[in-house]
Amino acid sequence: MSTARPEGHESGRIVVTGLGLVTPVGHDRVSTWNALLAGVDGIGEVESFDTSRHSSHRGGEVKGFDPVGRFRKLDPMELGRASQLAVFAAREAVEDAGLETAGYPSHRLGVAMGTTSGEPGQVEDMDDRWLAGELDRMGAFARLYPSHVIAGHVAAELEIEGVVTMLPAACAAGNYAVGFAVDALRTGRADAMLAGGADAFSRITYTGFARLGAIAPEICQPFDRGRQGMMPGEAGAVLVLERERDARRRGAEIYAVVTGYGLSCDAHHMTAAHPEGDGAVRAMKQALRFAGLAADQISYVSAHGTGTPTNDRLETKAVRTVFGDRRLPVSSIKSMIGHTMGAASAVESAVCCLAVSQNRVPPTIHYEEPDPECDLDCVPNEAREIPVNAAMNNAYAFGGNNASVIFTKLNGSAR
Amino acid sequence: MDVSEVRSKIKEIIANVTNIDPAEIADDAHFIDDLQLDSLSLLEIGVDVDYEFRLGVPEERLQELRTVQDSVDLVMQVKGEPATAAA
Amino acid sequence: MTAGRRRVVVTGAGAISPIENGEVGLEGLWSALAAGRDAFLPIAELQFDRDAEADRLQRATAAGVRFDPRDHLEGNYRPIDRTGQLAIVAAQRALAEAGWTAERRTVQEVGLVLGTMFGSLHTISAFDRRGVEAGPKYVKPLDFANSVINAAAGQAAIWLGLRGPNSTVTGGCVAGLQALAQACELIRSGRSDALLAGGADELAFESFFAFQHAGLLGSADLPRPFDARRDGFVPGEGAAILMLEAEDSATRRGGTTLGILAGHGTAFDPSRGTDRGSLASALTRAVGAALEDAGPSVPIDAVSSGASGLPTGDAAEAAALEQVLNSSSGTTPVTAVKSLLGESLGAAGAFQALVALGIIAGRELPGVAGWHQADPDIPALDLAATPRAIPARRVLLTSVSFDGFACAVVLDRPGDQETPT
Repeated sequence: MSTARPEGHESGRIVVTGLGLVTPVGHDRVSTWNALLAGVDGIGEVESFDTSRHSSHRGGEVKGFDPVGRFRKLDPMELGRASQLAVFAAREAVEDAGLETAGYPSHRLGVAMGTTSGEPGQVEDMDDRWLAGELDRMGAFARLYPSHVIAGHVAAELEIEGVVTMLPAACAAGNYAVGFAVDALRTGRADAMLAGGADAFSRITYTGFARLGAIAPEICQPFDRGRQGMMPGEAGAVLVLERERDARRRGAEIYAVVTGYGLSCDAHHMTAAHPEGDGAVRAMKQALRFAGLAADQISYVSAHGTGTPTNDRLETKAVRTVFGDRRLPVSSIKSMIGHTMGAASAVESAVCCLAVSQNRVPPTIHYEEPDPECDLDCVPNEAREIPVNAAMNNAYAFGGNNASVIFTKLNGSAR
Repeated sequence: MDVSEVRSKIKEIIANVTNIDPAEIADDAHFIDDLQLDSLSLLEIGVDVDYEFRLGVPEERLQELRTVQDSVDLVMQVKGEPATAAA
Repeated sequence: MTAGRRRVVVTGAGAISPIENGEVGLEGLWSALAAGRDAFLPIAELQFDRDAEADRLQRATAAGVRFDPRDHLEGNYRPIDRTGQLAIVAAQRALAEAGWTAERRTVQEVGLVLGTMFGSLHTISAFDRRGVEAGPKYVKPLDFANSVINAAAGQAAIWLGLRGPNSTVTGGCVAGLQALAQACELIRSGRSDALLAGGADELAFESFFAFQHAGLLGSADLPRPFDARRDGFVPGEGAAILMLEAEDSATRRGGTTLGILAGHGTAFDPSRGTDRGSLASALTRAVGAALEDAGPSVPIDAVSSGASGLPTGDAAEAAALEQVLNSSSGTTPVTAVKSLLGESLGAAGAFQALVALGIIAGRELPGVAGWHQADPDIPALDLAATPRAIPARRVLLTSVSFDGFACAVVLDRPGDQETPT
């Protein structure tokens, strides 16, 4: 643990002024949010590739997704699907924030995106050609596959020329991107940052989780005693972040303040969490410390909540270590959209912003039977209207990467 | 393929996962107690044994494997000469 | 410079590169580079897994690390793929150089920021092909664990007990510099006191062939950065990692300061590297931000450039250097380590930093081997094919990716800075 005092409040608070979402339950932020509050299940039969030889057949795909109308500069049909999802969400977030008329020069705008797998569809196409003896038809792989092209495509489409970075911190990547954006704004390297995550539904990812026996057969039931696993999904999610004084000066609508974030590493196992939730606890505590908040000031936790037997048990332990016996609402939207990988914590960051601004928290659906090892108020099955002054978003990833971000109400009592 | 070939192939698979010299893996070595394998490595060995010998057995059979001998027995049962299997 | 900001210092560095042939340590690397020893070998002599497809590779040479993990890694390295193994070897050397023992790491957290372009494309593709060919139940679980792009950083954290912030950055060939930049910010903001930062990438058939298919590879046996006849890069691999620490805590533990990470800057070219002028502007903005960050009063004594032999990328580097060095562009020595090591992708920026550490430590500036004919279409730089003694207080590191990412880092010599404000 660092002994230095967190710096940075002198540059003012960092706020969220725009949101863009494309998820298995909606192709924009409003429809996604309404569906999440209504407890809509976005899981369905996998359509994007043949699962007949797999042991499971369901997942959270974004169905009926047509990126064409949203693009103005790049040709979406030339890009991989993760880039399509990312740009689609970024365009919405920029419009929501009114960023194009905000007067920021293009070199003062930046992008930080997260992902787990980048553009795995490009590898799958290459492999199919390879196995068909047609490797020479691999197309523009070198320009379409490397994961950083996702951030590059967002920036190129929006003609952004400032700090652009790609942070593939697997399933915690969206939170890493938000944290990076906060620092870029706090240190004056940018005037506005697009931060988010994108992952496409992928044969590689699906096959891997299926092989681990991690995929639930029908539904995703985080924290339920009978939970049988996670559900792979796909999504794009982007937040627009600015300094509060800039946002106020231009009269932008503010969803929430990004008050602090925390990062840690389990250094324990590639695919399994630390048995005591050690890294998760340290990430939450660091986020609280940087936010200048006590645990009892947090109103809502957006859980990582994958629905695997182990994750939910260990996450409960970690949350209880930080929050004690207080029964605060801790829900998992993965029950509705599945685990959207590198996009997941970006979607959940957007959800925290909406929760903070609207005082509503989405439920954990398919909750039937309490598990004594997951003794949390997981907001079972029904959304709830409660004052949300501060929301914490937790994300845990392969590689033991943990990240927590705290969002607070602009004029809430939390600070 | 006779039993000693099968055993030596299985030890090679284990060595690829554990970095333990095949010569130092006992015929009755226990994956967890002796070789300290975690669940991911156990799964890897099961998959590789299935792949190497194309056993095509149900998943549960692979998950039951706990020792080198278990694995040899499974392979011989599925792939061995009928005479050997009956013996 | 921001008042009261924590200063970030380099207290150690380690690498595993194609040229060392068993030599380890910074001094070994510096003297090999100064001697102009290059790393290029016939691809048949290299270790990467070409399967049956080797005849598709048209290039005769590449720069590959020839190593046996048994010689470097004590323990079960089998579940870790090549990129991860390279990263771990470089990281453990950096920790050793910096005096960060395993015992100290249990008391004080160390983190890792790793730049990479691909992670392990070979693992991902092999995983997928086995699933398609044999069936999804036959994919290898350990390969899946390595299929995430942050696998090398995660594996290194487990191997070395790195419990601090753990982050992976991809930005093509600028990822290594971006990793130094991100680590710098994590230390300045007080989130960490000690971070390993650098990059790693492996030579793999899949990426090699993809680069060839995209027309990015050079036709000559050796790379020709800035040369009039340059027509592409030569693939390389390796890992290089610096130990970065907050100066206050490094001093407390008695660490030695090899250099100061004084500033960094990042920018993007919306033409995605297709327009030379637009790419040069992006790098110019990145350098401007880095110099503003570092405090512009110290002149730049040398440049450790990311030029690789790509026509547009090298031209953009030259144009940006002319802009930022003003009238002194023709007199500020520039070196390009990719002329000796090849294009090691995510590791490249960290290798550029190792060169810079050598220069500020008083070692010779390596020559740009392969540079023989000045290109009349790009601004003149002070280049030399042979090594030179250059006293340097400040070295600028620059890099652009072929698809529009740009990053610059400023490294200063310790001991002769202005008093921190």
